[in-house]
This record gives sequence, C-alpha cells and structure tokens, in this order.
Amino acid sequence: MTKGQKAAVYLFLIVISAVCVFPLYWMASSATNNSLDVVRGRMLPGLYLAENFRSILLQQDLFRALINSFRNAIVQTFLAMAVCSVAGYGFEIYHDRAKDALFSVLLLAMMLPFVAIMIPLFRMFSGWHMVNRYMAFVLPSVATPFLIMMFRQAARSFPVEIIEASRVDGLSETGIFLRMFVPTMKATYGAAVTVTFMNSWNSYMWPKVIFQDNNSTTMPMLVANLLGGYTVDYGMLMLGVLICTLPTAIIFFGLQKSFTNGIMGAVKG
Amino acid sequence: MNRKIAAAVLAGVMAASALAGCGSAGAGGTAPASAAPEDTAAAETEESVAEETAGASADANSLTVWTWDPAFNIYAMKEAEKFYQKDHPDFKLNVVEVLSDDIETKITTAASSGDLSTLPDIFLMQDNSYQKYMTNFPEVFTDLTDSGIDFSKFGEGKRAYSTKDGKNYGVPFDNGAVIAAYRTDYLEQAGLSVDDFTDITWDQYIELGKKVKEATGNPLITSQSGSPDLIMEMLQSCGASLFKEDGTVNIVGNEQLLKALDYYRQMVEAGVLVEVTDWDQYIASIQNGTVSGVVNGCWIIGSITAATDQSGKWAITNMPRLDGVTGAVNYSNNGGSSWAVCTATKNKELAIDFLNGTFGSNVEFYEAILPSSGAIATYLPAGDSDVYSKPQDFFGGDAIYSKIIDFAGKVPSNITGAYYYDARDAVGVALSNVIQSGADLEAELQTAQDTVEFNMGG
Repeated sequence: MTKGQKAAVYLFLIVISAVCVFPLYWMASSATNNSLDVVRGRMLPGLYLAENFRSILLQQDLFRALINSFRNAIVQTFLAMAVCSVAGYGFEIYHDRAKDALFSVLLLAMMLPFVAIMIPLFRMFSGWHMVNRYMAFVLPSVATPFLIMMFRQAARSFPVEIIEASRVDGLSETGIFLRMFVPTMKATYGAAVTVTFMNSWNSYMWPKVIFQDNNSTTMPMLVANLLGGYTVDYGMLMLGVLICTLPTAIIFFGLQKSFTNGIMGAVKG
Repeated sequence: MNRKIAAAVLAGVMAASALAGCGSAGAGGTAPASAAPEDTAAAETEESVAEETAGASADANSLTVWTWDPAFNIYAMKEAEKFYQKDHPDFKLNVVEVLSDDIETKITTAASSGDLSTLPDIFLMQDNSYQKYMTNFPEVFTDLTDSGIDFSKFGEGKRAYSTKDGKNYGVPFDNGAVIAAYRTDYLEQAGLSVDDFTDITWDQYIELGKKVKEATGNPLITSQSGSPDLIMEMLQSCGASLFKEDGTVNIVGNEQLLKALDYYRQMVEAGVLVEVTDWDQYIASIQNGTVSGVVNGCWIIGSITAATDQSGKWAITNMPRLDGVTGAVNYSNNGGSSWAVCTATKNKELAIDFLNGTFGSNVEFYEAILPSSGAIATYLPAGDSDVYSKPQDFFGGDAIYSKIIDFAGKVPSNITGAYYYDARDAVGVALSNVIQSGADLEAELQTAQDTVEFNMGG
C-alpha cells in the first residue's frame, strides 16, 4: 500500500468513525445543555449539567431506579451464567438419546417472540403473587436458548482429552466443570456476561408489565417517564439517557476483549 | 425415534401451559356472581394479597392514583392531597407514575381477565380514549352523575368526552382548548397585529399568512407531517367529527372534513403552512423562531414559554373558523384528560369526596397549581379568580388564563366514538398521501373509511 492509499484508507475510516461516534457525543454534550439549547441544535457542551441533574432528581427517584436496575441485572446475569453454562456444557459433553430432541425444543423456544408468551407469563407470576417482585423480572430470562447454545458451542471446542485425563486423575464431574472448564472459558463467560447484562439492563417490555409501583421503576422506565409530559425537558432527558447508557458502556468496554474472543468461541493453544 | 420424542415433549409442554392457564384463571378472582361462597371467599383473600403490592388501597383513609407527567398531573394530584388533608388529616394519597398508554394497556389486561383488583382507586385517562374504554369496559368506570359533583360548572365540550348515555364517568381536569398564538414582532414586520387574527376565518388566515410570509420569510404555522391534529381541531370547531351519531364512520362525503383538508392543502401550497418531520422538529420551529404562530391545544404554552428569550413577543387569541359551515366557531379542543373512579375501589365515597373537594369545586386549589405547573383548569368558575386574571408578561401582559377558560366554555361538543384513534390515524394516512405524494383525495378518503370500518368489524 502506498502512502497515499494508506492516507485515503485512514481518512475514510476517520470519517466513518466520526459518523458513528457523533450521536454519542451529542448525547453527552446535550446532557450539559438546557432544553432550549438542545432544541436549537447546540453542539458544544454547556453549563447546565448540574441543573439538569437537579431537575431529574426532583422529578424522579433516580437512585432507586439505578439500584433496581443494577440489582436486577446483576442477579439475572449471575443466575443465567450459572444455569446456562452448566446446561451448555451438559448438552455437549454428556450423551443421551433424547438430548438432540430436547435441544430442538429449546431452539424452537428461541423462535417465539417475547410478546407471544407475555400474557401467560404475567398470569403465572400474578398467580404466584410475584407482581412487583424483582425475581419475577429475573426468572424468565435465567435460562435462555441463546446462552445455552453459546456455551454448548464453546464446550464443543473444549478438548475431550482434558476431560478424560481429569477423570483418570480422579476428579469428579463437578470438579471437571468447575476447575477445568470454567477457567478455560473465561472469554465465553465474558461475552455472555456482556450480552446478558446489556439485555437485562435495557429490558423494557417485561418490567413495564410486571412492575406496577414506583418503587420498582428501572432506568429505561424512568427514561420513558421523562418523555410522558406535555412539555419535554430535552436537557434532562438527554442526561437520563446518558446515565442509563453509562453502565452498559462501561461493561462493554471493560469486557470488550473477551467479548470478541468469546464470540469467536475458540480455545487457543 | 427422535421425532416421536420431540412430539411427546411438545405435547407435554402444551398441556402444561394449558393447565397453568386454567389454574391462574381460577385463582385470578373471576368468580361469577353465582359462584359458591367458598369461591368468593377464595377470590377475596386473593384480592387482599394482591393489594399489598399493587392495586387499590385497602386502608380506609388512603387512595391510590395512576397518572403521568411529574410536572403536571402528578404535581396537581400531590397538591390536591395537601388541600384535602387540611380537613382530613389522616388522608393519604399514593400517586403512582404510569404513562397514559400503559394505563390503557393495564385496564385492558385487567378487565379482559375479569380481575379488577390490580387497578387503582382513581386513574387519569385521555379524553379521546374515554368513549372507547367506557364502551368496551363499562365495568371499570364508576357512575358519578349523582355523586354530588356539579358537572354543569365544566365546559360542555369537555364534559361530553367522559359522558355516556347522559351519565358522567369522569371529573374533567386539564384543558385542551385550542389557542392560536402569534409572534407579535413578526406580525409587526408585516404591518399586522394580533387583532387582525382574532375572530377570523381560514380564508382570511391564509391571506394574512401570505403577507407575513412575504415580510418575514417565515410560515404562519408548522405541522407535524402526517399528523391530523389541525384537521381534527377544525372538525371539532364546527361540532363535527369522523363519526355519525349512530356511531358509524363519517369520512366519505363529510363536508366539514373535505373543507378542512382543502384548507390544509391550500395552506401548504401557499407556503403558509410548512410540514416538519416529527414532534421535536415542531417544538424546535416554535422555540427557534422559524415560525410566526401556532394553533394547538393550550398545553402547548409550556413549550412556547420554555424559550424565555421570546418573552413579550407572543400573543394569544382564538383560532380561525371554517367559512360557510353551519355551527362553525373560533373554538376547538385538542387533548386534555379527566379523572375516573374505578369500580373496584374499596373507598368509593372517599374517592368521590376527595375529587369533589379538589378538582370538582375548589377554585383555591386550581389557583395553587396554575403558576408552577401551567395546568389550566376546565372548571369554569376558576376563570374569574385573581390568579387566572393575572396579566402574563410573556404574552404582552394579557390575562391569557382567563381567556383560555373562556375559550374552553365555548368549545362545541362532538362525537368522539369508540374508534376515535383508528379514524384519526386513517385520516392522518390519507392526509400524508395527499400532501406528500399528491394522491387523489376522494380515493384516499374512501380507503380511510374502509380501513376504519374494517377495524370496527374485526
């Protein structure tokens, strides 16, 4: 590649990244402007961050929503990791005749859109008096076909020799999973955590249905509330969106490396 | 072999989910009136458990309210609580923030499953949705006709939204009376004043609009593309709607509708009206000063006054009327909402007394909520109060709030119909096809009529 070509490639990439990053930049800078400036299209950061923050605290229980969202997402991610990785590992390592049929049913469940099962799900949980309980939000997503498939795919690349050697050395099946499989699959876990946490954090429809009081409000619900009025305070709205975006952004950037590795899904070396 | 197993598993799953469905239906408190005593008792325990986490208040001195918008409805409700507590110190209100669409979804879910116990004591509903929900779920709404609330103190057009078969099912709250607001500095450049825009017809409006456009380069009005707000306002200003009195669709051959659409088209062609892509752009055109006026429900004032640097440059008057149409006036309505008392409430008397003591009769209360929230009442006596008569500097020292209550009292009532939003959306589609791609108006209206009739049939 000549210097000129290289420059052209870089220029192209710079332009494309600017286009991608611009909405994020605008979101952040709008959070520091007042509503009027946002509407008038001011691009530069302003001095209204504190005021927007005050208005949001005055209108909404921001900290409660943050705590709720974090609790929901962390508990869900933790449980989903525990359940789905065991399931994915089991599907791949152990052999049984009904296994493939069961897996097809699982894949079938993946085809069902959530809205189709929402009403029966709601009736189930309201029958168990779990409306407004955060476990009602967590439970339906603890075992997802997507995660199980992801872990099964990862287990496929896990060398059988390691398992056989461990068995010979007298390690129990649980031991093999915990001490051999889990440490090798860090990248897969990283990717799975990212996906699950983001899905849980951004989840809107189900919490909207199952949470009926102010105390269970989650961050996306709070952002939606900011848009409900006759007059929208755009500065405050953008700050709400920014606060709602930050945790997933931090997790994504923190686990970015393992995310890409995990999606590739290979054990190296 | 594999296939057989898969089939067995599937059948098992289906059977299990069917059983689960039956189980929760039985537990949901759907016991019919003739049910055995044990069943009713079971349903009641079920309800009381549900109340711990959701639904109407069980405590004799407290009420649960569902509403939206912290700066407006929620604020008003919390102030109402303070007012009512003056005479009832033990009274407590639990205001839950639920968006308007979600209130409607939750009512549909609860009423369809026959279990009203998850609903609150009082909820707010958009006026345009009232007829639909009163028709489909009459069991949710408490008849307030003889509750002691004096409904004659509210504007007729406003009251009609929550009235069915001559009975009142809602306490009217916020005002949706249509105002026409103009940038006086722009009008001056064209040698005009707001008086030239008072009590005019749409024909005059278009002529004046051309002058303003010539002098300032700005259109007189903006409209969100494909949104039939303005058309609906024009229709109601002559007491018309998209439905006939017997509830059938009135789109094809609706003389007023044709006239309204024709004016809209004329305005677009003359450049007096400019369409913008979405609501945010609509607000931006007002706040950026790229438009010389607004015609919309009076709640738009909140967005106008947000541009503080335009203080003193706005004036408010009534909207133009349709020329040559019987019953056409310069007043209309867009938006607004009313409070409903849910039949499942355990504290019906308290709920009614609370609404009556605040939203239903208390001018002082309406005075107290106006300055901070801008929530303009539909309670007509409030218009004469000192707070409402106070000159507003933003609008050149005009007492706009009294003016708007006066407007509200003159709004003709029309038939909303249970399929209001279906009809409105269909007309919106027709409007956008006609304006954007020059489609044939008659054909588009026929399609709109067919769509709504199809929805009503299904």
